[in-house]
Amino acid sequence: MGLFSSDKPAEPSTPQPPNRSQRALCWEARDLYFGCLDKNNIIDPLKNEEEALKACGKESKRYEKDCAASWVKYFKQRRVMEKKKEEMINDLKKENAEKL
Amino acid sequence: MSVPRTALRTGIQLGLRTTLGAQSAKLSSHAIPRASIARQTLQARKAFHTTAPRPYKTIQEAKAKSKTGPFSWKAGLLFVLAGGGLIAYFRYEKQRLERQRIRDMSKGIGKPKVGGSFNLIDQDGKPFTEKDLLGKFSLVYFGFTHCPDICPEELDKMAEMIDMVKKDVGNVLLPVFITCDPARDTPDVNKQYLKEFHPDIIGLTGEYDEIKRTCKAYRVYFSTPPHVKPGQDYLVDHSIYFYLMDPEGDFVEAIGRNFTPKQAADLIESHIKDWTKPLRKD
Repeated sequence: MGLFSSDKPAEPSTPQPPNRSQRALCWEARDLYFGCLDKNNIIDPLKNEEEALKACGKESKRYEKDCAASWVKYFKQRRVMEKKKEEMINDLKKENAEKL
Repeated sequence: MSVPRTALRTGIQLGLRTTLGAQSAKLSSHAIPRASIARQTLQARKAFHTTAPRPYKTIQEAKAKSKTGPFSWKAGLLFVLAGGGLIAYFRYEKQRLERQRIRDMSKGIGKPKVGGSFNLIDQDGKPFTEKDLLGKFSLVYFGFTHCPDICPEELDKMAEMIDMVKKDVGNVLLPVFITCDPARDTPDVNKQYLKEFHPDIIGLTGEYDEIKRTCKAYRVYFSTPPHVKPGQDYLVDHSIYFYLMDPEGDFVEAIGRNFTPKQAADLIESHIKDWTKPLRKD
């Protein structure tokens, strides 16, 4: 049962957004989880779900506890996007592309 | 430098002779009126003045002067100051005209119109319309309180901008947050959320259709996932810009994420300083 995870029964009242300290907590858990993925050379935890769970199960659990479900997914997707971008820039650099 | 030096040498000799002449004249005859002696001296000096402005007191001084010619450190300083001043002035004028050009783009007929009328509710539940923005510059930001990382970052930047602008040009900027997620962002949610960023920020929400209309007026794109159930957790996709509006409600400039708070504050301040019409400072 997370701090503000979506597996709670739907609340009839308006859901409260995370405040500053809750956001900080989530970002910290996210960074720990992504750090673990980096160490294990896993780029996309959505595609390589089993592998990610095996290598970073503990971190993943904390990440999902401290962040809302929509955020968990969003940050994972953004990670993949950023890695792809990095890769592309590195490829371009190898080809000696000129920076505009 | 040889020419002025010889000219000076003759000048000194001439000056010496004139003084002697005048003295001997004074000594030899009392009959000559003083005025005529003065005239003689003056004439003699005049002839000499054509080459140098005044006779030098000492040879050293004359030599020193002749070495540098007309270029003294004072003249140099004046030159540098005047030149620097002109460059600074032209640069300033260029920037001002550029800002004016950007402003004028959004004024007048046939120009793209950003902003417009809206009818929303502030964080205290009171109605808030575009008329409440008039008289001050306003900085409008669209976002939603469940935003994972970009909005909080941008709102922290906004808080820094507000403080800088306030410190430098006074209380002339109205920071406004308009939610793109009216289903979850009630006035109270906005209030709790925004007070963690800056007490000055006004948080607006309203009916979904009214929010949609407002976003459209500001050329803001946003998309909520379809068929959201109450209490469901979701994200809203939206464009990220600060919209600077002038005290007459006209769009001035959009400030993107690439601006640092300092750069954004400087830009806002220069637009505020350019404003010549009345400005509310309460």
